[in-house]
Amino acid sequence: MGALLRIQALATNTFREAIRNKLLYTLLGFSFLMIASGVLLATLSYVEMDEILQDMGMSAIRFFSAGIATFVGIGLIYNEVDRRTIFTILSKPVSRSEFLLGKWAGLTFTVWLQLALMALAFAVVSGLAGAPLSSDHFLAIALIGLELMVLVAIATLFSAFTTPMLAALFTLGFWMIGHLTRDLHALSQQSDLEGVAAAGSWVFQLLPDFEVFNKTLEAVQGLPIGAGEVSLAIVYAVGYTGCTLLLGSMIFSRRDFK
Amino acid sequence: MTDRGSKIVRVRGIVKDFRPGFGLRRKRVLHGVTFDVQDNEIFGFVGPNGAGKTTTLKVLMGLIRPTEGRARVLGHDVGESEFRHRIGFLPENPYFYPFLTAREILDFYARLSGVPASDRAQRVDRLLGLVNLGHAMDTRLRTFSKGMLQRVGIAQALIHDPKVVFLDEPMSGLDPLGRVEIRDLILSLRSEGKTVFMNTYILPDVESICDRVAIIVKGRIRHQGQIEDFLPTDRRETDVLISSLPPETAEELGERFDLEMRGLGERLELRVGEKDVSGVLDAVIRVGAEVVSVTPHRNSLEDVFLDAVRAGDEPGNDGGTN
Repeated sequence: MGALLRIQALATNTFREAIRNKLLYTLLGFSFLMIASGVLLATLSYVEMDEILQDMGMSAIRFFSAGIATFVGIGLIYNEVDRRTIFTILSKPVSRSEFLLGKWAGLTFTVWLQLALMALAFAVVSGLAGAPLSSDHFLAIALIGLELMVLVAIATLFSAFTTPMLAALFTLGFWMIGHLTRDLHALSQQSDLEGVAAAGSWVFQLLPDFEVFNKTLEAVQGLPIGAGEVSLAIVYAVGYTGCTLLLGSMIFSRRDFK
Repeated sequence: MTDRGSKIVRVRGIVKDFRPGFGLRRKRVLHGVTFDVQDNEIFGFVGPNGAGKTTTLKVLMGLIRPTEGRARVLGHDVGESEFRHRIGFLPENPYFYPFLTAREILDFYARLSGVPASDRAQRVDRLLGLVNLGHAMDTRLRTFSKGMLQRVGIAQALIHDPKVVFLDEPMSGLDPLGRVEIRDLILSLRSEGKTVFMNTYILPDVESICDRVAIIVKGRIRHQGQIEDFLPTDRRETDVLISSLPPETAEELGERFDLEMRGLGERLELRVGEKDVSGVLDAVIRVGAEVVSVTPHRNSLEDVFLDAVRAGDEPGNDGGTN
């Protein structure tokens, strides 16, 4: 119970700090612009205007949310060490794992909040353009929320032991690869070399598979999103986040704060 | 000062190596640091800049892991976090979230320390009053001066009523009045039964409030003991400041009397034993030199400190004994 209260205090403080980050508002502003610009793009086509509008909107939501999660997340731990605020925090009965969890929870809540704002903008633009909206659209956006949860954990992991610049490169690298791992895995399995196929499988297990959370096509095309797929995405997000934060805690607990 | 009780802090043979950069050789900053802090005492950990005071304190706070050795606080290994509700820590030049007010930051630390919700507001207000920040409770910390941040730092260290308080340069950034207030506060902590560990290089503060002292130079403890051990001894000396003394007379004085000589520009300062003062003065006046001042010298912690630092600076002497 005490640990939960401490994590909550750290998360609340992280949220209060994150919402003061100007970069967050810049990216949020650009995301609104991109969502709205879907209307213009849709007018260039005579067919599937609604699909183009919504595909554009959901892609913008995914892209800018990932940007916010990455660029706010990379400084999460680094700034605490650099400004030495971590000294007073860790002198309290706060374990390093609790500290890491609190930072992750605070930023996850922040990106979920901005995701909700983007979803609202998406709904308003769709409504104004007369594009149909169903619960599957919001389910697909909720799955983006799970993707962000994993991405914040990855940013937190890298922020725990490296500089913001490197953490940004690693996190964005993981995000991009995470959307390609299925293709890479499929390609590796076609190789005649056993080693390549085995390595491909191994890498596929290790790296995140963000396509688990990508149900944009189904939502935009009006195809059903199965309960099994949603359940798998939830289990995968919780499991991958847990493992990433555990690894982050192990690394962070061995760090010296000079 | 007699032994006040059990050992609250036990540090045994702490060694700490740092690697200055990737591929570079490790640098040893603490060389087998050993000392104890007893219950309900104010312990001064004294040393020049770069001596290893803050590194030692960070080991005690679990912020860095020793390469060798053991440190225990209140019977717990410093790597544990559960006992920390019984310790308070003020880091050197503390920095806090600038977007929070003084009241909000103390509330944050109170939550982390497990202070019950029912006591929190009252304790925050009381502590801000104690460090004279009652007027700035709802002001954002970004507008605070260095001295005000130092006071916030002291308040957060005490927010959960800890048994042991670790202070790294507590007087730093404070004006003379602030220093007196914090000195009184530290004394009052001892009166309340708390133990205070204080890192500092401000020797008059140590002399006036500490019960015991350890002097660290270049990562080694050079001296440690009761404060009385460092204060005036039976040996009485006088500092005589002279100007226009011919060099041959200075040489003669050096041969005739047991004294220490130090050049201060065109002046010469002589530290003379009590029995030789009149003889030295006679000799100086006879050759027509001017006696600028005659001051009884009080052997103090400063002398011990400076001797320890100078001994550490001697070529080939980076070591010492506990």
